[in-house]
Amino acid sequence: MTQPIVVYEPFKAGLPPMRAYLRSLWHRRAFISEFARSELREQNFGSVFGQLWLVLNPLLLSGVYFLLIYVIGGTSDATRFGHLTSTLFLFYLIANSLTGGVKAITSGQRLILNTSFPRIMLPISAVVVAIFRFLPTLVVAFAIHAILGLPYSWEMLWAFPILMIAIVMALGMAILISCINVYFRDISSMLPYLTRSLLYLSPILYEASKISDSIKRFEVVNPIFYLLDSWSRVMVHGLAPTMDGLLHASLFAFGIFIVGTYFFLSRERDFAVRL
Amino acid sequence: MISLSDFSHEHTRGSLAVSVQELGLTYTTSIDKKPTLKARLKTLGRGKKHTRTVQALNEVSLDVHYGTVLGIIGSNGAGKSSLMRVISGIVPPTSGRVEVYGSVSTLLALGVGFNPSMTGRENVYLGGLAAGMSQSEIDEKFEAIADFSELGEAIDSPMRTYSSGMYARLAFSVAAIVEPDILIVDEALSTGDAKFKEKSLNRMKELRTADRALILVSHALATIEDLCNEVIWLNKGKLMARGKPAEVIAEYQKFMNVGKSASSDEDV
Repeated sequence: MTQPIVVYEPFKAGLPPMRAYLRSLWHRRAFISEFARSELREQNFGSVFGQLWLVLNPLLLSGVYFLLIYVIGGTSDATRFGHLTSTLFLFYLIANSLTGGVKAITSGQRLILNTSFPRIMLPISAVVVAIFRFLPTLVVAFAIHAILGLPYSWEMLWAFPILMIAIVMALGMAILISCINVYFRDISSMLPYLTRSLLYLSPILYEASKISDSIKRFEVVNPIFYLLDSWSRVMVHGLAPTMDGLLHASLFAFGIFIVGTYFFLSRERDFAVRL
Repeated sequence: MISLSDFSHEHTRGSLAVSVQELGLTYTTSIDKKPTLKARLKTLGRGKKHTRTVQALNEVSLDVHYGTVLGIIGSNGAGKSSLMRVISGIVPPTSGRVEVYGSVSTLLALGVGFNPSMTGRENVYLGGLAAGMSQSEIDEKFEAIADFSELGEAIDSPMRTYSSGMYARLAFSVAAIVEPDILIVDEALSTGDAKFKEKSLNRMKELRTADRALILVSHALATIEDLCNEVIWLNKGKLMARGKPAEVIAEYQKFMNVGKSASSDEDV
């Protein structure tokens, strides 16, 4: 054998050789699905009651907010309840990706110290787990949509690209936060405050159209504000998203994904000596 | 990155397994074991250092051929584990080049048990998939791994219930049963009970074949002398000596007894 199978050289511009990296990532895709399966099994989602919980949990969540906003608040608007549940479920896709992603690298210490593999697999796996947890809530959202008699239209097909944007955003956030947590381990303790703030600052407990323009001006810095607004327009009202809203959501999603991935890849070589 | 399933075993004794060329590794690491944003903010503007730069390897060159069992010795902080990590692709080098001519299996820092909440079985599968093995390859090897580890039904219990000895047994079994072209083992033979230690040593002896290269890091010099046919001695990231086990070990022991020699002082 005259040609080496693999050559390790210093990274150029701080990044691993991208073609080999992506090939290696694709070759290990089975890890991502097996990790998601094992993780869900560990959370008892392999059993009938566990799967039932996947549906019951979002229902109970929306029930709590329903009680808070509409029963105690005295409102009885079916559209607003539809809005609450749909946006809450999409919000939890992002929040669960962040929660799973934040410790993806630090808890993968043993694997990272022993095995050569693209580290980005770990936060990606956390997002896949969040997607598996999100899918049953989509069924619940459609059931609520039907029960409340909300409108259906072809415009609802916009849900697919918006969901794709949400997944890109979730991936970017999970990748970025998993890397930051290597350098500052208390980020994971601060995360609940961050997600709770995002929950209240985003159009979930209220509709985007109900807040004043002066407040809305500041929402331009909230990465998920227009994503959730677009989701609500499509899933609840059966309307097409506004182009501005779609553009805002896309720019943030791809921006966070690109910045997060670059930051992660440029720091990845440090992980084995920092953990 | 290397994959265990990309290539087959077709090597002849004496052909090159690993070529390390003028390898250098410098990295920055945190001084605190668990760095926090809170600590960083509290000391902002006080000039407190939070990181330190380590030169772990300095112009190390060596070739490892198939049929060789290479032992690596040296005191703590000599760069042994760093060298193993660069050869396995876990940490990229800062300078120089490493060429690897076969599949690599590593047992560094007891790699199995990535998620303690998952069972031993799940961890073996996840570890194998992360290393690039296919599901069917792991299926094929799994029974042998479970048998060798002697964990019995505990293989299906969460790994958080395992003792350190059970962890060590499973980790060694995975690394030793997958039959790679190049096996790299770092300080793993000293773990487990006496019976398993002997079993591990015997397994290592079985793996000493002409079409395989073994690289062992250990402080147990008797084990190194027993298993290896070649030894290198590292000190402060530099290659100090290479040769027959008895000779290099004697040189190393003499150095350790005498203290720092003039030659090593140059590297500080």
